[in-house]
Amino acid sequence: MRDRSIGLLLALPAIATIALLYLMPLMASATGAFATEAGFGIGNFVKTYELYTTDILYTLVIVSLSTVIIAALAVAIAGYLTLGENPAAVEVLRWLYRWPLFIPFIVVGQVLRTFLAKNGLMNNLLVAAGILTPLQTMSFLDWRGIVIAFVWKQTPFVTLLLAGAMAALDRGTIEAARNLGASRLRILFEIVVPQVRTTLFVAMVLSFVTMMSVLSVPLMISAQSPTMITADISFRINAYGDYGVANALGMISLAMTMAVAVFYLRQNLKEKAR
Amino acid sequence: MKTFLSAAALLATVASPASAAELSVITAGDQNMVDYINEYLAPIFEKENPGDTIRAVGTGPGDAGSQKILERFEAQAGSEESDTDVAVVHEKFVGPMVEKGFLKKYRGDIATGDLVTSDKAKMALGTDVDGYVMPMFSSQTAIAYNPALVENPPKSYEAIADWAKAHPQQFGYNGIKGGASGVSFVMGWVYAFGDGDADKLMNGPFEDGETRKWDAALEKLKSFNEVATLTPGNAGTLDMLGRGEIAMGPVWVDMFYSWQADGKLPPDMKLVLPAPGMPGQPMHYVIPEKAPHPELAEKFVEFATSPKIQAEGIVKRFNWYPGIDAQHVKAELDQASWDKLFKDVTPDDLANYAKPFPIAPYNNAILEAYERQVAN
Repeated sequence: MRDRSIGLLLALPAIATIALLYLMPLMASATGAFATEAGFGIGNFVKTYELYTTDILYTLVIVSLSTVIIAALAVAIAGYLTLGENPAAVEVLRWLYRWPLFIPFIVVGQVLRTFLAKNGLMNNLLVAAGILTPLQTMSFLDWRGIVIAFVWKQTPFVTLLLAGAMAALDRGTIEAARNLGASRLRILFEIVVPQVRTTLFVAMVLSFVTMMSVLSVPLMISAQSPTMITADISFRINAYGDYGVANALGMISLAMTMAVAVFYLRQNLKEKAR
Repeated sequence: MKTFLSAAALLATVASPASAAELSVITAGDQNMVDYINEYLAPIFEKENPGDTIRAVGTGPGDAGSQKILERFEAQAGSEESDTDVAVVHEKFVGPMVEKGFLKKYRGDIATGDLVTSDKAKMALGTDVDGYVMPMFSSQTAIAYNPALVENPPKSYEAIADWAKAHPQQFGYNGIKGGASGVSFVMGWVYAFGDGDADKLMNGPFEDGETRKWDAALEKLKSFNEVATLTPGNAGTLDMLGRGEIAMGPVWVDMFYSWQADGKLPPDMKLVLPAPGMPGQPMHYVIPEKAPHPELAEKFVEFATSPKIQAEGIVKRFNWYPGIDAQHVKAELDQASWDKLFKDVTPDDLANYAKPFPIAPYNNAILEAYERQVAN
């Protein structure tokens, strides 16, 4: 009994910190979402539905699409790192792919803003190389710019986790498949990826949640309509001082990330039960 | 010995200049506002008033900065003395400050008070603030254009709408979520095409019925958006103009000239202020009712709004329009600087087409109507 109370006592600072710094603001935000001028009600959610339905769907589509592209690229890179046969190429790739990890989102946004513009660096290079004529160029500063920024920034993160998991695999299974004459592509998709899919899911969920919370990229690249939920939350507060609808939008984005997390947990439990 | 020391201490207190004090100035706005006070105004003022020092603190850019100052005054309402001698705030916030009795009516006490005769020193978005404010400068939005691509710039909103239709994607603005130059363009649009009375939007009173008179204007803006380019932010519009991606777009005049001076924008770009007008706003010097050094505060504002400082600091250094009437500033300014500021947008244009923003409730209602009808 005494041991238990000491244990509780030791855990108390941690619990208090979580309660004070995490749970309380979350609860305040949740109740704030229902606080309207007319008292407690769903007015904020009605307004959110009327004004921001497009933006909510837009956010969902952009972040989901980015997550899928990131997963595909991460499998390709991590797969090559694991199965690649040219040691020099593997070494160069290993050295290169991590760079974007160390660059903040705001810098990514700022760099891509001039890179992807109609007369930006990318198009100027293409025009100079004779691939495009100036009239064929177009700006990528819309949803495509946001997807490019997210993919560029988040792929290394997923790759890092995935490459680690792949490196920890029992090489025996890979060697066995190779001895039986399987191609590398087949080994990747039938032997390697199935064994690391839990890690892949975790990395995708974490990426999804991270991208949902990024404000700087939509602000720098495309804060027009439609735009992402984060830009709307910021606008609600800065232009109207309206925390109610901002909280409602926050709750909706929380619901979206929770849905992804629950989906992941379900999968996880199912696998463990097997 | 002890007596001697205390006598000396007493003497020292008496002998030091009675006015020696530290003047606290808080200012909303970007870092350049703090720099302007600390690096430009303070050294000159301190030289003219030996012993006194100025300490300027910034509260952050945009409306949020002024909101913080308002909240600070509210928090100090119950105390004996404010910690602030002079504050610089956006127009939108002086109304509430005056209504709540936080400010001192000081314009009549200072010599430069008579040098400003325009409405902006009397009314602030529908509230009577006569006597409580001295304008520090005015910033104004206008349409910037590239003369290489636009020979005859449109002179009115109607002409802009036609021009944009004839030249798809060549007009760019930053919507309402990327900075105030886009907001200003939208407000001007509602002044131009709204079915209601634009003067009522600028001066009040607020009536709910008025907010339903914008449907046609916003419908028109929605189809305008289809032929316009939406840019990422105030700077985004200037960037795209500079790269030749758009030929025209709304900008802040001071930003436009500063970018040109820095070589970030080609020197041949020009400005036009279209009819029936676009909004701009002054920043105001205010003195709290309970300022700890009221006399020195007045002296400081008088100094900062003197024609010489307005000419050198406000017009020449920062390309802002002067807070006091332009004719008083002209005498202190070399012809080149004067011509530069008023080359494209003449004083007449300003008199006719420089409008205030709508009063706060209309302002918010227009933004929300835009979100509902144009952006959705």
